[in-house]
Amino acid sequence: MSGVVSTARAPSAGRYANLGCGASLIPFDIGHADYVALSDPASAFWALVRKDKLADTLTDSALMAGYRAKADDFARELHALRFELKPSAVYVNPTERCNLNCTYCYIPEGMRRSGQHMSTDRLVEALGRLKSYFSTVMPEGRKPRVIFHGAEPLMNQAALFSAIDTFKDEYVFGVQTNATLLDEEAIEFLSARNVSIGLSLDGPLAETTDATRLTFGGKSVHDKVLRAMESLRGYSAWSVIATCTEKNLDQLVPLVDLFHAHEVPTCMLNAVRCTLPGARTVRPDDEALAHAFIAALERTHALYRETGRKMVVANFANILLAILAPTARRLMCDISPCGGGRAFFALAPDGGLFPCSEFIGLDAFRGGNLFTDRIEDVLESEAFRTVTGRDVDRIDPCKGCAIRHFCGSPCPAEAHEMNGGMDRVGAFCGFYEEQTRYAFRLIADGKANDFLWDGWDAEDGGVETSFDFVLP
Amino acid sequence: MPSTDIKQQAAKIAVSGAATTAVCGAEAKPAIIATRKRCEAEGVGLSHYVLMDRKAVR
Ligand SMILES: C[S@@+](CC[C@H](N)C(=O)[O-])C[C@H]1O[C@@H](n2cnc3c(N)ncnc32)[C@H](O)[C@@H]1O
Ligand code: SF4
Ligand code: SF4
Repeated sequence: MSGVVSTARAPSAGRYANLGCGASLIPFDIGHADYVALSDPASAFWALVRKDKLADTLTDSALMAGYRAKADDFARELHALRFELKPSAVYVNPTERCNLNCTYCYIPEGMRRSGQHMSTDRLVEALGRLKSYFSTVMPEGRKPRVIFHGAEPLMNQAALFSAIDTFKDEYVFGVQTNATLLDEEAIEFLSARNVSIGLSLDGPLAETTDATRLTFGGKSVHDKVLRAMESLRGYSAWSVIATCTEKNLDQLVPLVDLFHAHEVPTCMLNAVRCTLPGARTVRPDDEALAHAFIAALERTHALYRETGRKMVVANFANILLAILAPTARRLMCDISPCGGGRAFFALAPDGGLFPCSEFIGLDAFRGGNLFTDRIEDVLESEAFRTVTGRDVDRIDPCKGCAIRHFCGSPCPAEAHEMNGGMDRVGAFCGFYEEQTRYAFRLIADGKANDFLWDGWDAEDGGVETSFDFVLP
Repeated sequence: MPSTDIKQQAAKIAVSGAATTAVCGAEAKPAIIATRKRCEAEGVGLSHYVLMDRKAVR
């Protein structure tokens, strides 16, 4: 489990890097003028080393001694994060239907066009069953999360709102919506109950959004989303997701400008997931994506410098967290096994339980039914185990990759559907390489905190320092 | 320089929220930077939903 084994238990003293029981420290280029990185993937330990000091560092240095003392702790911490979590959230699809027909959607078109709603009674019953389950696994003082997701959850607004009111004290709620049905009344209802609200928009101008997100009748929804964004200005718990495809790469910088001007607190710039064939038609090239993505990140930084107001790009912030504080990561796609089926799971409108919403269109991954099966058994089902058993340490070429526990080789659904199996690499290896290298460059230049939430590492928020080594 | 007491040799710098940590000349740059923090693991987000607030669940 660990990169270093103590002398009491092993024939090697573990004193020398890359020998015997010593740490396996892999050097890699981060594209920085002055630094290279070293990492021991077994514990996600890393160090940035000035290029003229690399040889000194790899000999019996203070860093090596410091790491030897901590290696087992770090490896245990990573192991717990990767294998010992219990679910504390559920993504609930209250309807199969949607009023849009986005090119890349991972919910099959047939479902979205003519699928079923969950009745109010059924939804309330579902949340009641889930509550009973969570009461057996949630730590004292923490509430489970329910995130209404889809398809388009607001197409079943009556059931949704009724469920939120019934369980307002039991869960922390969120809703992800295309915003076309998010009128003033809905915003008032949700914000009065502290429900986090996520929207989706792919471009700064209608022509870009329209390239991927239109109604079934081919109508633009861009202006409607902008109106909802205007109404949400000032609310603390909202966000916008942009899905990055070959259709909008050249628009990511102006898109970030638009989000910042609308005072979006947090956004995501997600690479399109290529689970279903439709998404693959707009798949961007890794290198072009990395280039556009980093340009957009740099733009958020310039805006922060100019205005003093941060807009965090959550998916990138999560890579920084994976490096700086592995247990503080919020998104569980970029870790292996991913969070699907172990940190959270998904509920379909017919009661079907899936490891993640990404699998809802893939019947082979239905692990059971909330209304007839025990959740504990579903978590152990073959369908769930296939996903929770996908381990980056056993995938080629990831198993030898120095950044594999910052990347995680996401996502299992894409690996399975597009690349031919759970033991295959994820969809955007090159993009992850570049994101991680950029994250390390920011750390080297002392800028990482500019890309993270203020107070992310506050001690009164339960974050403590376990290693802090800076050699002048 | 064999030593197990890293604190004697390593000058600690806080990794705190200054918006504009100055980028100094190569000579002034630390030889090694290695930090790690930890907290209770609570991440449940996925790429189709922005989940960031740690405080809300308490
Ligand atoms: C499936 S939608 C459900 C909620 C709502 N209908 C919406 O559009 O926000 C959730 C999020 O996933 C994104 N999404 C859909 N298909 C995707 C794919 N193949 N890859 C990446 N993101 C995708 C959507 O753009 C949206 O931001
Ligand atoms: S609005 Fe959301 S659920 Fe509907 S097609 Fe678009 S991404 Fe899919
Ligand atoms: S997908 Fe690429 S970057 Fe990620 S772990 Fe695998 S080899 Fe490394």
